[in-house]
Amino acid sequence: MTSMSEELTSYQRVMLALEGKQPDRVPVVLYPRYNALKYARHTFMEALDDPEKYVAAQLSAQRRFQYDSVHDYNMMGPVEEAMGRRAGFKLKYVRDDAPMVETSVKIKTSTDLEKLNAKVDPYMDGLCPKVLWVVKQLKLRTMEKGEPKVPVITWGSCPSRTAAVIMGYDQWFMLLIRNPELAVEFMELCVGPWLEMVVSEVDSGADVVWVNDPVSSADCISRAHYEKYTQPYEKKFIAAIKDRTGVPVIFHPCGNWHDRLDLVAQNGADALFPGTMDLSLVYEKTMGVANVKALNGGVGSARPNTVDLKGTTLAEDATTLLNGKPDEVEREAKRAIKIGTQRGAGFLLGGNCFPPLDVPLINIDAMVYSARKYGRYPISI
Amino acid sequence: MSKEDLLQRVSEQIVAYDADKLVEAVKGALAQNVPSYEIVLAMSRGMQVVGQKFEDKEYFLPDLLMAAEAMKTAMDILGPYVTTARATAAGKVLIGTVEGDIHDIGKNIVVIFLKSAGFEVRDLGTDVPVEKFVEEAKMVNPDILGMSGLMSTSMPVMVEVIEALKREGLRDKIKVLLGGAPVTNEFGKRVGADAATNEALSGIRIMEQWMKEKSQP
Repeated sequence: MTSMSEELTSYQRVMLALEGKQPDRVPVVLYPRYNALKYARHTFMEALDDPEKYVAAQLSAQRRFQYDSVHDYNMMGPVEEAMGRRAGFKLKYVRDDAPMVETSVKIKTSTDLEKLNAKVDPYMDGLCPKVLWVVKQLKLRTMEKGEPKVPVITWGSCPSRTAAVIMGYDQWFMLLIRNPELAVEFMELCVGPWLEMVVSEVDSGADVVWVNDPVSSADCISRAHYEKYTQPYEKKFIAAIKDRTGVPVIFHPCGNWHDRLDLVAQNGADALFPGTMDLSLVYEKTMGVANVKALNGGVGSARPNTVDLKGTTLAEDATTLLNGKPDEVEREAKRAIKIGTQRGAGFLLGGNCFPPLDVPLINIDAMVYSARKYGRYPISI
Repeated sequence: MSKEDLLQRVSEQIVAYDADKLVEAVKGALAQNVPSYEIVLAMSRGMQVVGQKFEDKEYFLPDLLMAAEAMKTAMDILGPYVTTARATAAGKVLIGTVEGDIHDIGKNIVVIFLKSAGFEVRDLGTDVPVEKFVEEAKMVNPDILGMSGLMSTSMPVMVEVIEALKREGLRDKIKVLLGGAPVTNEFGKRVGADAATNEALSGIRIMEQWMKEKSQP
C-alpha cells in the first residue's frame, strides 16, 4: 500500500532536492500562477490590481493541492517598465496572461541606450514594490513557529529577454545580426537592474530564484549566436545572483534547446527546468555537469527518443496537463520520476511551463498524487 | 547580363538578406525592362530557399526576419508595378490572433511565408474579436481563414468564430486553419476546422494544397 505520510516540510523537501539530495519524496514545483488564481476565482488583472488577492490565491491553492511551492507574480515586466518608461516603453496588461509590449523602444545606437533607466530602485520604481510586497507576504504567511514551511520561488529575467522585451522581439533578433556589438552593450546594461530586483526579492523573503530564456532556443537563434552573444550574459546574471544572494537558481531554457544542452549545463544554475524537451536527453547531457544538481518538470515533456536535434515536441505530448486525463498525467509523472531520480539525482516534478489557465484542476491533483505514489525515496519503479 | 542572371541575382540577395544589394539588383532588373512580376517571383523563390533553410535549422528567426525586411524594402522600390505583379494571387487569406490573445510571432512568420508564396493576405493583427473575423470574411471573401493563439484560453474563441461562420452561411465557402502551440490536429477536427498545425511551414503547405485542389476542375 502506498504511504502518503509526509516527514518533511515542503521547504525542506524542495531545498534538499535543489542540492541534489533525496528528501522523503520527490517535491512538486509546477509554477501554478493561473491555476491558483482560477482556484481562487480571480483573474490575473484582478490579482494585479489587488496583490492581496494574488497572495491569498497562492496560499489557498497550495494548501488545497499540496504541491510544494508558492510563487510571486513572475514575468510581469516590472523592471523592463521601470527601465524604459521615460523612453516611451509601455506594457499592455490583459485579463489572464503576462503583459505584452504595447510600445517598444527604438534601439539603433549606443545613444539610444542612454534613454533607458539603468539605476532601477526596486523599492520605489513602478510595479517593483508590489512584487516585493507579494514576496514578503508569501514568506510571512508560510512560516510556522519561526520555521519556513513552503518555499517562496521568485523570478528574474535574463539579460537577452529583458533587451528583447524592451525593444521588441523582432527588432532584437535583427539587432543580433545587424549590430551584435550593440546587442552585447544592451545586455550588459540589462544585467544590473534585474540583479537589483532579484536581490531585493530575496531580501524580501524569496528562497529560490528561477530565471528563464525564451529568446535563445533553437526555435529562435543559432547555437553559434547563443554561445557567442546571449549565453555569456546568462552566465553573468546567474553568477551574480548566486554571489549576491546565495540562494539556489533554477534555469528554464524555454523551447527546443536540444542542440545546445552542453552549453546550457555550463550556465551555473543549480537546477534546470527543461520544459517540453526530452527529459532523458537533458538528464544525460546536463546532470552533474558544472553546477547542475537537479531537474524540474516532466509532465508535458517529449517522449524519450522522439525528437532529434532539429525536432520540436509534438503538441499532443506538450499538452498533457491541459488536454490529458489524470491517468495520462500519472503515467508521464511516473516516467519523469524514473528518469529524473536515476543515479541519485535531485528531482522536482512539474509541468513544462506555466500550466495554462484551463488545466483541469484534477490534473494538478494527479501530479501531486503521482509524486506521493511513485516519488517516495528510495524510488522503486 | 541576361534576364535569367538578373533574376538569379535578385533571388540570391533575398537569401543573403542584403537589402542594399537587393535594391541594387531590383533596380538593375527594372532598368533592363524585366517585368516587375518576374522580379517578385524571383524574390518569392528566394524566400522559398530561406524557408527551407529555416526548416533545416540552417537559418533562424533573425535570418528569416532580415530576409522578410529586405523583401519589404524591395517591394517599396517596385511600388506601383507590384499591383500588376501577378494576374491572380495564389489565394486570399484572412488571418489574425483571436480575442484575448496578443501573441503574434508565430502568426507573423506565417504571414511572411504566405506573402512570399504569392498569397494575398489580410492580417487583422492580435486580439481580434469574433465579430471582426466574420465582418472581414464578408468583406474580403477569403479562400482561407487562419486563426492563431498561444494560450489555451484562445481555443474556445476559435470555436466561437467557426460557429459564427456557420451561422452566417460562410463556413462552407472558406477553409479554416488553426495555428498555435496548444492547438492539435485532433482539436481542429473536433471543433470543425479543416486543419490545425503548430508549425508555420506545414501551415503554408496545407494552404497551398487547398488552393491547388480548389483550382482543379
